[in-house]
Amino acid sequence: MRLSDVVSHSGLSFYAEVALVLFLIAFVAIAIWIFRPGRRSEMDHMSRLPLDDGASASLDGTSSSDQAHHGAPAPRRTNR
Amino acid sequence: MNLQLDSFKYDDTIVRKFLVATFVWGLVGMLVGLIIALQLAVPALNAAPWFSFGRLRPLHTNAVIFAFAGNAFFMGAYYSTQRLLKARMFSDALSTAHFWGWQLIIVSAAVTLPMGLTQAKEYAELEWPIDIAIAVVWVIFAVNFFGTIARRRERHLYVAIWFYIASIVTVALLHIMNNLSIPAGPFKSYSIYAGVQDAFMQWWYGHNAVAFFLTTPFLGMMYYFMPKAAERPVFSYRLSILHFWTLVFLYIWAGPHHLHYTALPEWASTVGMLFSVMLWMPSWGGMVNGLLTLRGAWHKVVEDPVLKFYVVAITAYGMATFEGPMLSVKAVNGLAHYTDWIIAHVHTGALGWNGFLTFGMIYWLMPRLFQTKLHSTKLAEAHFWFATFGIILYAAAIYSAGLTQGLMWRAFDETGRLQFPDFIETTVRLIPMYWVRALGGTLYIVGMLICGYNILMTWRSRPAVLEEPIIQAPPLRRRPTAEELGGTAGAHAGQLSGLAFHRRWEALPLTFTVWVVVAVVVASLFEMLPTFLIRSNVPTIASVKPYTPLELAGRDLYIREGCFNCHSQMVRPLRHETERYGEYSKPGEFIYDHPFLWGSRRIGPDLAREGGKYNDLWHVRHMEDPRAITPRSIMPPYAHLLSGRLDFEGIQKRVDVMAMLGVPYGDAVKHAPQMARAQARQMAAAIVEQGGQAGLEDREIVAMVAYLQRLGRDVKRGAVATTGVNHAGGQ
Repeated sequence: MRLSDVVSHSGLSFYAEVALVLFLIAFVAIAIWIFRPGRRSEMDHMSRLPLDDGASASLDGTSSSDQAHHGAPAPRRTNR
Repeated sequence: MNLQLDSFKYDDTIVRKFLVATFVWGLVGMLVGLIIALQLAVPALNAAPWFSFGRLRPLHTNAVIFAFAGNAFFMGAYYSTQRLLKARMFSDALSTAHFWGWQLIIVSAAVTLPMGLTQAKEYAELEWPIDIAIAVVWVIFAVNFFGTIARRRERHLYVAIWFYIASIVTVALLHIMNNLSIPAGPFKSYSIYAGVQDAFMQWWYGHNAVAFFLTTPFLGMMYYFMPKAAERPVFSYRLSILHFWTLVFLYIWAGPHHLHYTALPEWASTVGMLFSVMLWMPSWGGMVNGLLTLRGAWHKVVEDPVLKFYVVAITAYGMATFEGPMLSVKAVNGLAHYTDWIIAHVHTGALGWNGFLTFGMIYWLMPRLFQTKLHSTKLAEAHFWFATFGIILYAAAIYSAGLTQGLMWRAFDETGRLQFPDFIETTVRLIPMYWVRALGGTLYIVGMLICGYNILMTWRSRPAVLEEPIIQAPPLRRRPTAEELGGTAGAHAGQLSGLAFHRRWEALPLTFTVWVVVAVVVASLFEMLPTFLIRSNVPTIASVKPYTPLELAGRDLYIREGCFNCHSQMVRPLRHETERYGEYSKPGEFIYDHPFLWGSRRIGPDLAREGGKYNDLWHVRHMEDPRAITPRSIMPPYAHLLSGRLDFEGIQKRVDVMAMLGVPYGDAVKHAPQMARAQARQMAAAIVEQGGQAGLEDREIVAMVAYLQRLGRDVKRGAVATTGVNHAGGQ
C-alpha cells in the first residue's frame, strides 16, 4: 500500500514500539503495585464497601435497621 | 469517644426516573431494531422516506446505545454512587437537569434521524446542535458526580467509582474530538477531518464509545450490583483494580482494527490488532472475577432471576471480549468485515451483556426503589428465558448469515473466476436467516413486555408514601480523630496530621482522574498523531479533484438517505474484492471527503468504483424502483428523489464551508448554484437522450446520480496520467 510505504519510510512505526514498551512498563508497575503484600486489610475493606452502604431495604420493603453498624466509628488505621 | 454522625437521605427519586426511562427507551430502540430487521427481509416495509432502513438504522443504534444503555448507566450510577460514597447526590437540581436534558436529547434524535439529519458517522450521527446539548448535559452529570465525590463520607473510592470516573471523562473527550465540525446550516455540518483522518478519528471514537459507554460503566455496575445480589464481596478486589487499569490503558489503542485492509497505514492497523488481542486478558480477568463472586452461592442462581441475568450477562461479556480480539486479527477480519458477523458480535454484547445486566439491575432495584415485593418472580423468570432464547436464535442466524456471505464473496470457481459475481446472489441467500433473526428479536421484545408488566404491577403495589430512610454516617473530616492517634499528647499533632490526611484523601480522586486522563490522552496521541502528521504524506493523486457543486449536493443526499448504512466505499486490497469491484482504494482518493463514507457493512455492494458502471438512466430507474432493475433486490425505493426539488441556492453555503475546510474550490465559491444548474441541465438532457423522462433538471435525483457517477472516476481517469508519479513516491 502506498501510504504505508511512505509512513514506514518516515520512521513513524517507531511510535508503535515505544507505545508498546510504555504500556508494558505501566502494566508491570500496576500489577506490582496491586499485588504487593501487606494490603490485605485494605483490600478486604474495599471489597466490602458495596455490602456496607447503609439503608438497604430488604425484598419485603422493610428498611433494615443496621444504622448502628454503619455509624460505628470503626477506627481504621490507614497505611497509605 | 464522642463521634457526631451526619444524617442524610439518598435520592432514589432520580433512580426511579432513570429506571422507567431505561425500560421505555429500551423497548422503543428494540422495536425499531425489529422493524429494520424486517425491512431487510421484506423491502416493501420501507414505506416512506422517513421510514426506510437507511434512516431508521441510526435511530435503532442510537436508541439502544445512548437511550437504553445510557439511561441504564445513569440508573445504576445514581443508585450505587450515593451508597458507595455515603452521600446524597451533590445537587438534586443537577440530577433533574441531567435526567430531562438527556431525555430531550433522545427525543430530538428520534425526530431528526428519520428526517435524514445526520453527520454520517456511526454512533455520532446527531447533528451539531444536539452534539452541543449532549456536551452540556454530560458536563451537568460530571459536576453532579464529582461534587458527590467531594462530599463523600467514605474515604476509599470503590472500584465501581473508578469505572464511572473513567467513563465520564473519556466519553467527554471522545464526543468532543469526533464531533468537531463546521456548521453549514442549522442542522447540517461537515467534519473538520477528511478521508483517512476522519476514518481514524471516527473509529477511535466508535471503538471507545463501545469501551467507555457500553463496557466500563457496566463493569462498574457489575462490581457493585453483582456482590449485592450474591451477598458477598467480589472474588478478588486486586483483580478488579488490574482489570480497570489494563482496560483504560488498552482499549484506547484498539480502534484501528475497524479499518483493517482499508487505506489506513499498515503499522497503525497492526498496532490496533496487537492491542486488541491483549485486551482479551483483562476482559477475561474481569469475567472470571464476576462469575467467581458467586463462589459458594451458585445454588442461589437457581432461584434468583437477578443472578440468572447477571450470569448470562457476564458470560456474554466473556464471549464478546473473546470474539472482539479474534475479529481484530487481520485474517479473520478479512472474512468477517462488512458482513453480518459484526452485527452478530455487537448484538451478543448489546443484548447479552448490556441488556441482561440492565434487566438484572432492574429486577434487583424494583423492590428496593418501590419498597414492596417484586410483583412476580415467575414472570421475571419467563422474561429471562424468552430473552435467552431470543439471543440464541438471533446469534445463530446472524453468525451463519455473516459467514455465508463472507465465504460467498471470496469464493472462486475452478476457472479462477468469482463464483458469485452477482452481489444479489449473496444477499438473497441471507433472507431466511433474516427471518430467524426477526423471530429471535421478537422473543427478546416479548421478554421486555413481560418485564414492563412486572414493573407496572410492582409500581402499583408500592406503599402510599415512599419511605425515605435516614442514613447516618460519620463525616469524613472527623477521621482520624486525635484520640485515635493517641491521647492528649498527640492531640495537636493529631489535628495536624488529620488535616494532612484530609488533604491527601481529598486530592486522591483528583489525582486518580488526572491519571486516567493522562492514560487516555497519551494513548490517543500515540495512536493519532502519526495519522495527522502524515497529512502531508498522503500521496495526492493529481487527478483527484473536489466534487462539483452538484455532486456535493448529491453526496449530501446520499448522507441524508443513509446510503452509507448499507453501501461501503472502500475496496480492500484482496483479490476477490478487486475482481468484483475494481482497483483497490487509495488514501489519496479521499482527501476531499468531509466526512469519509467508507461504511462498515455491505448489505448492498461497494460503491467506490460505481462511477461509469451504468448510464445515468439506469441509476434513475434503479433509484425509483430497485426491483424493476434487480428483481430480488432488498434496497428501499427512492422515488421521492424524482419528485423532490433540489435546493440549488443552498449549495453555495455548503461549497463555502468546504472551501473553508481547505477544499480547493476555485471559482465555485462564487457561483456554485449556477455551476450546479448547468451540470443538472446537462445530465437531465443525457437522461432524456437515453430514453428517460424529461424535466428532471431541478430534481434531487440528478444530484444523486451525478455523485454516484463520480465515484471512483478520478482514479480511473488518472491511471494513465499519474502512474509514474505514484511509483516514484512509493519507491
